[in-house]
Amino acid sequence: MFNVGIDVGAKTIKVVILRDGQPFAQYKGLAGMDTAESVEQAYTEALKEAGISRDQVKRVVSTGVGRKEVPFSDEEVTEVGADSKGIIFVMPNCRTCIDVGAEEGRAIRCDDGGKVRDFAVNEKCAAGAGSFVESMSRALELKLHEMGELSLKATRTVPMNAQCAVFAESEVVSLIHSDTTKEDIARSVHDAIASRIISMVRRVGIEPEIALIGGVSHNVGFVECLERGLETKVTIPDNAEFIGALGAALLAYEGSK
Amino acid sequence: MKQFQSWYENHHQYCKDWKARTGGKIVGYMCTYVPEEILYAAGILPTRVLGSHEPHDVTEPHIFGMYCPFCRDVLAQGLKKRYDYIDGLTISQSCLHIRQAFTSWQMHLPLEWSYYLPMPHHVQSPRAVPFLREELVSFKKSVEEWTGKEITDEALDHAIDVYNTNRRLMRQIYELRKAENPPITGLEAMYMVVSSQFVDKADHNKELERVLQNIDGRLADREVGTRLMIIGSENDDVAFMSMAESVGATFVTDDHCTGSRYFWNEAPQDADRLNALAIRYVERPRCPTKDWPERSRIPHLLSMAKEWGVEGVILIQQKFCDPHELDIPAIKKAFEEIDIPTLFLEFDVTTPVGPFRIRVEAFLEMIRGEDLF
Repeated sequence: MFNVGIDVGAKTIKVVILRDGQPFAQYKGLAGMDTAESVEQAYTEALKEAGISRDQVKRVVSTGVGRKEVPFSDEEVTEVGADSKGIIFVMPNCRTCIDVGAEEGRAIRCDDGGKVRDFAVNEKCAAGAGSFVESMSRALELKLHEMGELSLKATRTVPMNAQCAVFAESEVVSLIHSDTTKEDIARSVHDAIASRIISMVRRVGIEPEIALIGGVSHNVGFVECLERGLETKVTIPDNAEFIGALGAALLAYEGSK
Repeated sequence: MKQFQSWYENHHQYCKDWKARTGGKIVGYMCTYVPEEILYAAGILPTRVLGSHEPHDVTEPHIFGMYCPFCRDVLAQGLKKRYDYIDGLTISQSCLHIRQAFTSWQMHLPLEWSYYLPMPHHVQSPRAVPFLREELVSFKKSVEEWTGKEITDEALDHAIDVYNTNRRLMRQIYELRKAENPPITGLEAMYMVVSSQFVDKADHNKELERVLQNIDGRLADREVGTRLMIIGSENDDVAFMSMAESVGATFVTDDHCTGSRYFWNEAPQDADRLNALAIRYVERPRCPTKDWPERSRIPHLLSMAKEWGVEGVILIQQKFCDPHELDIPAIKKAFEEIDIPTLFLEFDVTTPVGPFRIRVEAFLEMIRGEDLF
């Protein structure tokens, strides 16, 4: 039996296919302006990847900011519910799950049964999410993936005061003008987003083990800043971007039993 | 029931019609600690000055950007001449932000009469009632001098009676919300309370009585979902209430100055009418500007949650609202200790419905955890 979880994020669409409740295939595509079309495309590709047809799928659960744009979904779940479901499957001892995506950061505290005990989401602001790093990389004329490595080579901590992605950009520009190195600026950017995420995590309470998921978990520079700020290591599970889609797929599996 | 919504949506038209019909004066008030009864006894219609939930750019020269969006929205309504029918304006001391809106209004807009009422902050002091009583003597005198008419004991008795009736009827409405299937939604209750803050209470009472007569079995088929309570500062954000109640929840009670705090207690019987009013305003459920040093709000909120069968609490505050920022951590902790989860949201002039929907839905999922796991 096949079940599908589909996570329609701000920037990418993640699809996880389960066979008898176990991960079987996954696919990631870009979310374009036409969400319905991007969803359709990602789903088709995911099915191709798995080598199965649409009618072999018993149940689909959607999550993510665009979860209502999935016409073939049987049920919807919020990102918070999907994340905690997914993370407990791959990391049963996780109690604090930090999810940093393109447009949203989330901190979720779950109990030993995997129920959500508390959560916080960044307040209508990009400065605590991935797109902030992306726009700062543009100001530094760097590719997004270069930001992380470069930030690890920083030699100083340059505080960034701006709480807003737009104002932060002008701060970055003035750092460039004052001949601050790209390395130090990259770390400053990651410190800024990490500090926003950390204050959100502190709001829900920190309990080990701590997982970091979402696309920004690929950014080694951010991870270093986050761990330094939290004064503890965080665990990044395999396929950290797919945890939400996995949680949705697990709910689809449970719903079809 | 539609009448309350219609009043809410046509606040200014109602007041203008009232003025045309009666020829009376209208006084805007900016805080619910204003003793409206004294104005009403003078034949004046008190109308609460509220915001419009539209972005604006007119208050910048007058109010600091980190003052709460509500006080800025309120002043914007004045500057945009939306309240051009009011003859006077008053405020009772509560928070500095709204006071700034008041003084700015006094400076920039024509008013026949305006009055700043020093409502005591230390309402827990035994001296609060005599203090406020003396202030009410001055307030009443000022109204009398302005209108050129004495406010008689009979008129005060009548006003107190009309206001107490309104409070009693609203309490009855809220009592009904304890039911398994509340016959009114949180949105409807908000329309009721907010409209009562500017509609002539005699008219409002008639409408409440009519609604109460026909309320049996109302909304019996509506899915109640999770029973929520909403707590916080001024809130007349109907867009938010309506969104939250459309995703599987019902607000069964609240603690807002646009909600239960406004009508919860009545003025007692007292031959000294102003003393009765002083007691009423000193003893009403407190706004966080006044709930000190003892924290009387917390036991009140907890017992309310228990009586109304609340499963989750949404804590809201206007952005930059210092008094509520002070209270919210303590309230959150108190609810967590009795296993009632809370969700904190920061309100602005406009509500970002999409992001808020995600938070509310995730909160409801968390409460109904067993469905997911």
